[in-house]
Amino acid sequence: MKFGIFFEISVPRPWGPDTEYKVYQNCLEQVRLADELGFDQVWAVEHHFLEEYSHCSAPELFLTACAMETKHIRVGHGIVVCVPQFNHPIRVAERAAVLDILSGGRLEFGTGRSATWTELGGFEANPDETKKTWDEYVRVIPKMWTQERFGYRGRCFSMPKRAVLPKPLQKPHPPMWVAVTSPGTELDAAERGLGSLGLTFGGFEEQEKRIAEYRRRIRSCEPVGEFVNEQVNTVNFLFCHEDREYAIKTGQRLAGTFNYLAEQLLAARQAYPTRSYPNLGLLPALRREATSAPEGRVPEGLCIGDPDRIIEVIKKWESVGVDRINFLLNAVETIPQEEVLASMRLFAREVMPKFGVQPPSKEPAGVS
Amino acid sequence: MPLVGERDLRSLAPHAPLLPDLRAEPLTLTEVEVLQLLYEIDDSAITSLLPPALHPTIPPTVSFVFWRVRSGPWGEFELAQARVGCRAGARPRALLLRAYCSNEAAGRALAEGWGFPIVSAHVRLRHYYDRVVGEVRRGDDIVLRGELVDPEAISGADIQYIANLNMARLRGADGEALRLVQFDPEYIFHKAERGRPQVQEFDATAWLLEGAVLDWPISASYAVCDIELPRIRYLVDPARPPLEAVERVGG
Repeated sequence: MKFGIFFEISVPRPWGPDTEYKVYQNCLEQVRLADELGFDQVWAVEHHFLEEYSHCSAPELFLTACAMETKHIRVGHGIVVCVPQFNHPIRVAERAAVLDILSGGRLEFGTGRSATWTELGGFEANPDETKKTWDEYVRVIPKMWTQERFGYRGRCFSMPKRAVLPKPLQKPHPPMWVAVTSPGTELDAAERGLGSLGLTFGGFEEQEKRIAEYRRRIRSCEPVGEFVNEQVNTVNFLFCHEDREYAIKTGQRLAGTFNYLAEQLLAARQAYPTRSYPNLGLLPALRREATSAPEGRVPEGLCIGDPDRIIEVIKKWESVGVDRINFLLNAVETIPQEEVLASMRLFAREVMPKFGVQPPSKEPAGVS
Repeated sequence: MPLVGERDLRSLAPHAPLLPDLRAEPLTLTEVEVLQLLYEIDDSAITSLLPPALHPTIPPTVSFVFWRVRSGPWGEFELAQARVGCRAGARPRALLLRAYCSNEAAGRALAEGWGFPIVSAHVRLRHYYDRVVGEVRRGDDIVLRGELVDPEAISGADIQYIANLNMARLRGADGEALRLVQFDPEYIFHKAERGRPQVQEFDATAWLLEGAVLDWPISASYAVCDIELPRIRYLVDPARPPLEAVERVGG
């Protein structure tokens, strides 16, 4: 089991001149601590226009800063929105390669397609097209990284032969993932040899079935890249405190706040009738999980509580086949920064060793 | 926390219908034609259209909904609504301050049963192969005219209608009070189409939506469906903050 942290970078109103600066600084401090404590990866989303919920519109820049301030932690660029109106595929390949180089080969590359009308409408992207363009992107980007020169005549873009530069430091290329927010997308991931990022469906039993099917299908996949990235990476909340009652109360506030913010945005499905968006995007399964338990009780799959409870929860995730858990640590700064850092320290001291994770050595990680 | 509405409720009270009780029985209207046109509106009105109990959607939106009902307990009627997209806490909802209805008996039943703030008018919904047209006319004035252009068939499962919050007056122990009545019907779809929305006329004042300026078209859908008018289960006190505003009926 590996552990990571996951940033939406939510910024609470009222917005003063330096509110965003402070939130970004808090996030960077959390990343530096995560690196020291032995967390394996930091992920940053790409979202646009999502007021309060996520001010993380240039994750490659944030992750570059993370890479510059850390030695070991891997940087998860995810997900990159694979829709032409948001990002041209050549620019995606170029930026990711630079991030891989600057981080010393620590890039994890996540792909997806956006789930809100707020974003899709803002870029005038057609919701019917996003699954198709995502599929095209994930096939061509690894070729841009691995072929000396790359040319392409496609559906959503074409280009004459050019050298897409630079090439990533990791050879043949960084691990590739796809965001899985609706049932069935984990099978898309499997068929393409991609890691499953964010698989969180309610109930461990259901989870186990889906992960087993993912692993069965990926054995016969046609990988879009040069290798198969068979891994299941989930998203969860983290608040760890010695006092279980306090931890649960605070953790539930975190989960509730996150859910509340997500609901304010206009999901693609609510605005535009299309088969392309069967679910209400923005981590819907995690939000369902967060609100699934009767009042006063903690949903069984959430990592909030004292270390003993969290160990128990993670063992269950491990037993159903999850390889990595990434934690949302805060939402609109609802938890004071010192408490977030203390929660991370306690988790690293009491929980991570139970899963074989120790603080890192002094040697930098990545490609040497 | 998210933005909340800032509308002065005193100006709305005279327009809200009086709901004699909350005992409306479920009722199914069959083979109803429904046209919905959805627009983003200018953000200058992001908080001014809504009461303090509601959050605006991001971006702010208005949906125009037409019904053509060919049969039922009140006879044939056509209904038009202009609703502001919002959130009651974390729930997606649409605020209705005024609706126009072509049939007085139907309008009265909808007002007294579910708090629809009805005004009589000439309402038309007409389906053609190249477009679906909705229009509301009061005397010589057109207060709304819009179309779904270039319809294409889709599945009814692709359409999601958002529940109404109808502004109404309720009589209680302390006299009359404004409440938003949640109207969340069930739909069974028989046919559905999608196209581009085009609104040619929209008199915001006639819908009590002063300041709502249509800014950007989002989507248009047309459906033929059975609509089960629901029991009233929830009310919202428009004056209270969002997290304290929802009241369960009978609970």
